[in-house]
Amino acid sequence: MDPEEIIASGKLEMYACGALSLTESQEVQEAINTFPEVRRELELIEESLLLLAETVSPPVQAMTWTAILNSIRNTNSNTNDNVRTMNWPAITGWAAAILFMGGIMWMLKQNSELNNSIQVTTTENTVLREEKANTETQLAENNEVLEVLRSKDYQAFTLPGNQAVAPEAFAKVYLNKKENIAYIDTKGLPTPPRGKVYQVWSLKMEPLTPTSVGLISAESQMGEGIYKFVNFPEPEAFGITLEPEGGSETPTMSQLYILGMVTI
Amino acid sequence: MEQPNDLILEMQNGSEKAFSQLYTMYSEAIQGIIYSIVLDEETAEELLQDVFVKVWNNASTYSIEKGRFFTWLLNIARNTAIDETRSKAFKNSRKNLSTTNFVDILSSSDSLNKRTNAIGIKKFVDALKPACIKIIDLLYFKGFTQAEASKTLEIPLGTLKTRNRTCINELRVMVLG
Repeated sequence: MDPEEIIASGKLEMYACGALSLTESQEVQEAINTFPEVRRELELIEESLLLLAETVSPPVQAMTWTAILNSIRNTNSNTNDNVRTMNWPAITGWAAAILFMGGIMWMLKQNSELNNSIQVTTTENTVLREEKANTETQLAENNEVLEVLRSKDYQAFTLPGNQAVAPEAFAKVYLNKKENIAYIDTKGLPTPPRGKVYQVWSLKMEPLTPTSVGLISAESQMGEGIYKFVNFPEPEAFGITLEPEGGSETPTMSQLYILGMVTI
Repeated sequence: MEQPNDLILEMQNGSEKAFSQLYTMYSEAIQGIIYSIVLDEETAEELLQDVFVKVWNNASTYSIEKGRFFTWLLNIARNTAIDETRSKAFKNSRKNLSTTNFVDILSSSDSLNKRTNAIGIKKFVDALKPACIKIIDLLYFKGFTQAEASKTLEIPLGTLKTRNRTCINELRVMVLG
């Protein structure tokens, strides 16, 4: 279509009103972009319509522009505010999460420490209970020994040291002749050397017959340095020799530390 | 009047000053369009505000190559005003005003626009053929498409185009000389 045809067609007027179909609008827009005379014609049409609309308008209030300006500026600053207010909950949220995690970690640590402490306390309790049991056992033993010493059934003898081997040594024996029970107090004996052990012998004099009563060992210990022996032939005397570990069949006379009569 | 493409481009780049100048050029006509639809001064002022806020916010969607700025403004204004007339609040407050057209507005008010008498539009309007009043009202003020107007006025599309051109030509002679 040439410029004159477009101008005469009435399409420009329709176009200015925004009443044309999409296809025709594109056609007219192309013509406007191409032909200056078409554009000028359209500009005149627009101006006429503009003036017509202006005559219909009530006076434009100055406040309207102020309101528009406020509105677009508020929109802009609102957008910024939104960004900020969007950030705060996020920051607060993260902070809370970090605090929360920290709190959890701290509580876990505390919990683990408390658990350790409970374990230690439990162990300590066990140890103390064992100690208590030991102490009670020992007390019972000591009481038993004390009972023995006080009893009328027991007689006390002090066994002197062998002048040739251990002149300073001595041992005490508490003997129940009726039941053949002996408690031997070894406080006066030197500590046996390594690999050696004291052995107690029951002796008959005529003829001299030694019978092993037992070893001074943890097995026969009753209290602090006090040892209990049973099941031995009625003695006339007690001897204590130093023997190799495990004891001997017969006493080693060269190592006779203690020898003493237990008859009255 | 040439389209102020420089101002439009500046506004699209965020210049409030250019936007202000465009507002000065077009606000009164746009308010006239809005007023011819809502027929209430206060509502027209509010909607004029809405329209220009929309123009600012949607400035990037307009393209100089693809359409006329005036027509773009016209569409935003008419759509905004027509939306308002469809709102419940508007329907409740106003009834039976839909038949009023721009000529009724001009004849019923002396104080509308101080330039009205000076440019002789009122005289033109008085002399305008009833057919022209109807056509311009529907196509320009009410935003009918040519197809809709053709159907409503029961005029063939070709005839409608010719008549619309004649009517606007008459207007042009009167206002632009």
